[in-house]
Amino acid sequence: MPRSRDEDDEIDGDYEGLELEEEEEEDEDEEERGRGGGGSRRKRGRSNFIDDYADEDSQEEDDDDEDYGSRGGKGAASKRKKPSASIFLDREAHQVDDEEEEDEEEGEDDFIVDAGTDLPDERGDRRYERRFLSRDENDEDVEDLERRIQERFSRHHEEYDEEATDVEQQALLPSVRDPKLWMVKCAIGREREVAVCLMQKFIDRGADLQIRSVVALDHLKNYIYVEADKEAHVKEAIKGMRNIYANQKILLVPIREMTDVLSVESKAIDLSRDTWVRMKIGTYKGDLAKVVDVDNVRQRVTVKLIPRIDLQALASKLDGREVSKKKAFVPPPRFMNIDEARELHIRVERRRDPMTGDYFENIGGMLFKDGFMYKTVSLKSITVQNVTPTFDELEKFNKPSENGEGDFGGLSTLFANRKKGHFMKGDAVIVIKGDLKNLKGWVEKVDEENVLIRSEMKGLPDPLAVNERELCKYFEPGNHVKVVSGTHEGATGMVVKVDQHVLIILSDTTKEHVRVFADHVVESSEVTTGVTKIGDYELHDLVLLDNLSFGVIIRLENEAFQVLKGVPDRPEVALVKLREIKCKIEKKINVQDRYKNVIAVKDDVRVIEGPSKGKQGPVKHIYKGVLFIYDRHHLEHAGFICAKCTSCIVVGGSRSGANRNGGDSFSRYGNFKAPAPVPSSPGRFQRGRGGGYNNSGGRHGGGRGRGDDSLLGTTVKIRLGPFKGYRGPVVEVKGNSVRVELEMKIVTVDRDAISDNVATTPFRDTSRYSMGSETPMHPSRTPLHPYMTPMRDSGATPIHDGMRTPMRDRAWNPYTPMSPPRDNWEDGNPGSWGTSPQYQPGSPPSRAYEAPTPGSGWASTPGGSYSDAGTPRDHGSAYANAPSPYLPSTPGQPMTPSSASYLPGTPGGQPMTPGTGLDVMSPVIGGDAEAWFMPDILVDVHKAGEDSDVGVIRDVSDGTCKVSLGSSGEGDTIMALPSELEIIPPRKSDRVKIVGGQYRGSTGKLIGIDGSDGIVKIDDNLDVKILDLALLAKFVQP
Amino acid sequence: MGEAPAQIPTSFGHELRACLRCRLVKTYDQFRDSGCENCPFFKMEDDHERIVDVTTPNFNGIISMMDPRRSWAARWLRIGKFAPGCYTLAVSEALPEEMQSICQQVRVQYVPPKRI
Repeated sequence: MPRSRDEDDEIDGDYEGLELEEEEEEDEDEEERGRGGGGSRRKRGRSNFIDDYADEDSQEEDDDDEDYGSRGGKGAASKRKKPSASIFLDREAHQVDDEEEEDEEEGEDDFIVDAGTDLPDERGDRRYERRFLSRDENDEDVEDLERRIQERFSRHHEEYDEEATDVEQQALLPSVRDPKLWMVKCAIGREREVAVCLMQKFIDRGADLQIRSVVALDHLKNYIYVEADKEAHVKEAIKGMRNIYANQKILLVPIREMTDVLSVESKAIDLSRDTWVRMKIGTYKGDLAKVVDVDNVRQRVTVKLIPRIDLQALASKLDGREVSKKKAFVPPPRFMNIDEARELHIRVERRRDPMTGDYFENIGGMLFKDGFMYKTVSLKSITVQNVTPTFDELEKFNKPSENGEGDFGGLSTLFANRKKGHFMKGDAVIVIKGDLKNLKGWVEKVDEENVLIRSEMKGLPDPLAVNERELCKYFEPGNHVKVVSGTHEGATGMVVKVDQHVLIILSDTTKEHVRVFADHVVESSEVTTGVTKIGDYELHDLVLLDNLSFGVIIRLENEAFQVLKGVPDRPEVALVKLREIKCKIEKKINVQDRYKNVIAVKDDVRVIEGPSKGKQGPVKHIYKGVLFIYDRHHLEHAGFICAKCTSCIVVGGSRSGANRNGGDSFSRYGNFKAPAPVPSSPGRFQRGRGGGYNNSGGRHGGGRGRGDDSLLGTTVKIRLGPFKGYRGPVVEVKGNSVRVELEMKIVTVDRDAISDNVATTPFRDTSRYSMGSETPMHPSRTPLHPYMTPMRDSGATPIHDGMRTPMRDRAWNPYTPMSPPRDNWEDGNPGSWGTSPQYQPGSPPSRAYEAPTPGSGWASTPGGSYSDAGTPRDHGSAYANAPSPYLPSTPGQPMTPSSASYLPGTPGGQPMTPGTGLDVMSPVIGGDAEAWFMPDILVDVHKAGEDSDVGVIRDVSDGTCKVSLGSSGEGDTIMALPSELEIIPPRKSDRVKIVGGQYRGSTGKLIGIDGSDGIVKIDDNLDVKILDLALLAKFVQP
Repeated sequence: MGEAPAQIPTSFGHELRACLRCRLVKTYDQFRDSGCENCPFFKMEDDHERIVDVTTPNFNGIISMMDPRRSWAARWLRIGKFAPGCYTLAVSEALPEEMQSICQQVRVQYVPPKRI
């Protein structure tokens, strides 16, 4: 476009681009008009510039048909009109503007008439003449015309009004009629200068510079924009300018990009005292600094920072000695010690700052105060945005000499980085500044700056408005929080100490104390590990390092790992970079413990010698005979302990280790003899158990050769070899070999190649309870037996295996004591604990059931509902310390009269079904039929085929209950099976009888209900106990 | 040249300040000596304290307005009615309330910068 216009210029010689365009459009108009007119209206829509001309066109249609020579006439016409408009506007005190406008219009017209002779002097003269002329003509003008034009003109002007905000910016978009922007190359860094110089040139030279404006952008180096109608004008203007490369090409900015040129973001720099900033350049690059003074006029700030000064080098420099130029290192930040400097014969002047009155030590032009360096730098050399000092940095900055207020000054800028919505309703906050310091409260409402808080304090307005900057989030020790910003972002932990705005939290991941700002955390129950992965390596991975040492990643830091090295003698932690890690070690290796038991990953081991003696936990990694054990009670090294495998013994059992079950105890009780037919030893451990007591002292002894009957019949799964994955019942055990019937085929596999915890016991009626009840048992077991947790695997698994089932069966079909004398199981063999509770206690009054103490079963393994009866029998001694107060474990005697009476009576086992949806607590009841029914409780009776009715149990015997119908037992007495009865849950304030648990048989009053718990005031001692509602029945006084 | 141009900045560095109302750019000294050509009502030349209130060193870009009436850029930036001179494209701060009320008293419009 510009090109062609230039050509046109040459041809026509006398038209400015604008006029030419005008002309072109007029030509178009002519054509259109020929087709029916209306062109002028179309043009009016385009722009106001056009409007004017278009209107003129329509008024002077005659002119349109004339050749260009008649333009002069047109010019005259417009001159006639414009002045009239200016008169009108004069009245509105816009005279100057209008004259300006007028002048320019005239100037253009001059061009046209003068056929483009651009000589300034000539032009000026002409303009002057013209103005005279127009003034004269103007006076003669007709009034109505004047009005019309004035209308148009005023509208036109409105659009030009830069202050009319109601005009959409959109309407100001450049049109083809507007001047263009040209991009001109200039010297780097001289953009502003060029712009200003061009302005000066314009003033000096007057109107011969036909450029409209010059734009220098801060963010665009090397270029300025010149607004002008023609490239020639630009060239003219920049001629002779020192910093403009005149021979460079001048580029036209496309019309749609013009607005982008002028659209600059005005970012607010809010720099004030005590703001934390970072240095951008030089020795202190990246260092934290605090603003002490801002000189907005000079755009300079004075900051204080911790000096990085090499006093030796400084001394030699000041002495005039040669200082090696190369900067080998940047001195570490260190507070300036003036005495030290003096010792090095560095001249220190003490001067008083005339402005502030503070004294500064001046060393070679550098100012120091209190060890800090005070430096005045350009605003441009500091970073102001998003400066979040780390805790360490702030701590360094907080010299003891600084008082608390100074500290808070720093804090306030810390707070300045708070995001919107930092405080939310309900947040606990503490006032850290001002009169109300240390006042705690809760956020009620957040206004702009102020936070309305509700405080505990009496006598204060409620709510109380506090400036957000005086507030800090408040946490109590014990809160579990998540770090949401700062270096520890993402980590979670528990608050262990609160020191004003600083919290010390115990990280969930590293078990280390982490110091964070209260502002940087939110309360959260989430447990995350923070960043747990860098590259391919994750927290707790075992990695091989460059120097062929190895270790477990125990912590991730910025781009580095803390690795607990595989050195068993003492904990050795190394900080390694990503590149120093060769690879992850993922081999699964089994090693042998001190007693030659196999240790595999996940096995529980106990360290029996060395620095970590006594620690115990699952093995996480094994490498080169070194175990990495995770002990969650171990607070160092993220809980990891490194030990030689020979310093450990296996305690628990796991599938791969096979004989975990007894490993520990067996090895210790080498003389221990297990009863041969061992229904008891539960389960899943056939193998383990086999190893255990068959070997009496290590399953790798020859003991196993004796044949492990316990394996017989159990279903096993083959772990290794060609039959891997197959499962089937063991049909024969011979030495190290086991014959397993696989589906249809009986094969011979190595004993070690099978896994025994197969959930199915095909040859038996699998426990219908086992599945359901298994889960609830776990939690309840843990608290009672500390050792059990690690053994959970083993303890729980037994349920699956067949061994338990038979016992239960026997429990139901009481005929024998199925468990052998267990006396030798004592010693708290954890293995036995875990495994013992295998069968139902509800067993009939068999003699064998010497101590049928259901209670003891409950007490010890509350979860083991259906299996607990076995417990006492199995190893009464072991349970001796699990007292069951209400159930004296007198052998051969029903301990509780009441329970004794109905003990036998529950063959149906209906109530015992722990798996039938009773909650976790319920096993206590569920386990025992006798827990259910006692005399004098209100029940619902629903016999088959009859409507249900309420009744009161009067007696329980032989598995049937004598029930008196009616809510108070006043009706008929019937006999009912327990399966036909249902305890009616008591309501608040009801009298209750406790039908299970420790207080079984006691009566009391239900004084409250909390979820599934009832709060009972027991009659006997007036104690208030919280008991599971399921243990409570409505008591009806006989 | 119907209108006398405003003073042209005598330097190009950080001594420059921009009028918060009209965005005219001059040095501090120039504002102190002759005030702002577009906003004489601020009377900066009489009350030097006020200079820091109504001008700012934080501005972005410079535009030299030779011909405000016919410049598209001036129109776009809404400075087309001011005296020719050097202006800035954008200031980041708003005029202090007190100064805004002065604008109201003398009935000049003040448009605070749009926050981005």
